[in-house]
Amino acid sequence: MQRLLLDNVVKIYADKTAVNRISLQVEEGEIYGLLGANGAGKTTTMRMVLGLIYPDDGTILYNGKPYSKELRHIMGYLPEERGLYPKVKVSEQITYLGQLRGMSAKDADKSLKYWLERFEVPEYYDKKIEELSKGNQQKMGFIAAVIHNPQILILDEAFSGLDPVNVELLKSTVKELRDQGTSILFSTHRMEHVEELCKNITILHRSNTVVKGNLKEIKAKYPREEVILGTSGEVQGLESVPGVTAVNRTEDGYSIRISDVSAGQQILNKAISQSVVHRFEVKEPTLNQIFIKAVGESNE
Amino acid sequence: MNNMWTVIRFTFMNKARTKSFLVSTLIFALIITIGINLPFLIQWFTGDKDDSGEAVRIGLVYGQEQTLAEQLQTTWGNLPTTYELVKYEANDEAALKQDIKDGVIEGYLTFETQEGNAFPTVVYSSEDEGINMELQSNLQAALQVAKTRTIVAGLNLTDDQINALNTPVQIDTRSIDANEAGKAGGAAAEDEASEVMNYIVVYALVILFFFTLMGTGNMIASEVTTEKSSRIMEILITSVSPLSQMFGKVIGMFLLGLSQIAVFAVVIAVNVMLPHNIGALQDMNLDVSAIDPMLIVFGLIFYIFGYFLYAVLYAAIGSIVSRTEDLGQAVMPITMLSLVAFYIAIFSLSTPNSMLLKVSSYIPFISPTTILIRIGLGDIPLWEILLSLAILFVAILIFGWLAAKIYRTGVLMYGKRPTFKELRKAMKAYKM
Repeated sequence: MQRLLLDNVVKIYADKTAVNRISLQVEEGEIYGLLGANGAGKTTTMRMVLGLIYPDDGTILYNGKPYSKELRHIMGYLPEERGLYPKVKVSEQITYLGQLRGMSAKDADKSLKYWLERFEVPEYYDKKIEELSKGNQQKMGFIAAVIHNPQILILDEAFSGLDPVNVELLKSTVKELRDQGTSILFSTHRMEHVEELCKNITILHRSNTVVKGNLKEIKAKYPREEVILGTSGEVQGLESVPGVTAVNRTEDGYSIRISDVSAGQQILNKAISQSVVHRFEVKEPTLNQIFIKAVGESNE
Repeated sequence: MNNMWTVIRFTFMNKARTKSFLVSTLIFALIITIGINLPFLIQWFTGDKDDSGEAVRIGLVYGQEQTLAEQLQTTWGNLPTTYELVKYEANDEAALKQDIKDGVIEGYLTFETQEGNAFPTVVYSSEDEGINMELQSNLQAALQVAKTRTIVAGLNLTDDQINALNTPVQIDTRSIDANEAGKAGGAAAEDEASEVMNYIVVYALVILFFFTLMGTGNMIASEVTTEKSSRIMEILITSVSPLSQMFGKVIGMFLLGLSQIAVFAVVIAVNVMLPHNIGALQDMNLDVSAIDPMLIVFGLIFYIFGYFLYAVLYAAIGSIVSRTEDLGQAVMPITMLSLVAFYIAIFSLSTPNSMLLKVSSYIPFISPTTILIRIGLGDIPLWEILLSLAILFVAILIFGWLAAKIYRTGVLMYGKRPTFKELRKAMKAYKM
């Protein structure tokens, strides 16, 4: 049984469709990536999952059951615009939020201390939110979302605005939670995070699902179109190889765009005959390229 | 329910610990303390130096007005006064001045004989320019008696008759209960005392209602708006149902306001109980037991009901505003409404049975203050009170439901303030 299942969910605001027939499922211990440009419907989808707004059509099931109040205790949420009381102490508001999610004051306090320790900032316990830097406020928001050890965690742009060190810290934390069995719905418009974390993804564009499925399968479906060639000397006549559409000179070689994978072999042959090759790769498309392509196609 | 309690506690503790709340409570407590002690302080500063219970001595120069002076002395003995008259035979100005300087007397009285049979002019001389209020009124009373005696001296009146002449005319007020004719028998004095007491209680309740509403109402609205603008609302609303959130907030603030009032009540009580103030209450003939118990019971019920009616609306308004800056304008209509309730009540204190009051005591929002006047000062049958209460209760249910709906919808609407039409449309999308 899926932890979370969305089936043909539709949300219509006054005059426009915000989410059009989205279907996805998140298993136990899985991070599911929800991708899309701004305004694609990511946040609306998440809000529907959270029970903040009701879908106009379709069903959302949690452990096979529809939404109920009890779910509030097993769901965690980090909103895109992190919300915490600016003038209230970290300890007070996070234990408050923990209590609202059904914890005892004592457990919430214990959990908060564990997490502060985990993020190496135990001194923030007595600080007010407004005294913290933006990145640290975000960490506190993250703690508020996971303090009650939720089964379903919803992270809306969890890493935006963080420095690389903190991104790594949060990433490893998210992975850890996943390994403990938490199902995570994760939205972002930064593709590199998705490639590292998510098994399955959905790309939304203007309320519609344009790409959906297993990340590896998706990548396999998209043809390899770029060859990276590193040589010590110059290589002549690359343009004349059949299937090559463009050749760009780079620092230590060439980046060649191809329309046919078989062209790679011929490029390599040509290069070896003229120079010493120290690098050759037929690159698989990055998610970024897939995204741009998918979004571009649906625009046409 | 459990969650609501958590919200109540958080709201209460959070606000109660803010500096602004503590400071404003302290300042108000200080103002109250000063206000209650003001009469005593004024007395203390205007320098009756020897306030140690010892009588202040005033010289009385007998001079040519022997009889008048003697009469003044006798009458003086019967007056409740802290002054003592000391006899001086002759008007020896130098000696008198010396005595004032030495502190033997505070000042002295002389009589200036007038032409013919006219009553002599009385002159009070002292180092200060003025004359103490108490001394002046005592002197006036005593001299009036002396004057009357002088004038009626030739009429052969008995002392009883003269005393009767001097007794001031008394006007008693009596409130007549039209519904229970005949009851108002001999309880005139009692009625008067309770009338005054009820007046004070009504006045206090109306003011209390207005000010707690103003204070906590705005706090509720701005709390909600702050939660909304800091986006913590999204987390809150996924953790607690909006209904328990809203009512938790309203009740938390109510308790906060109540505890502030309790602090003030204790401050008032302690101050009134202070030895130097205890006499003041008795002098004013105020007796707490004279308060109509019905007034207190209904006063509290209407107070609480009225508070909740307004408070849910403040919460609803706070929820549709996205930025604190816009809040002042948005709460305007409610503020106006509470002003109407306040002023109708205050201006109608002297006409408790007017048509305006009768009508307005059935209108929710206004009834919590106006009905108090009819209960405390006018005459109103019980069924009218209960009817008004029922209307108020229904209004709370309706507006509470509506406010919860608006709240549920409003807290997730950002950007410009939604129009009523947009709000109504959006509200349909939510089941409670």
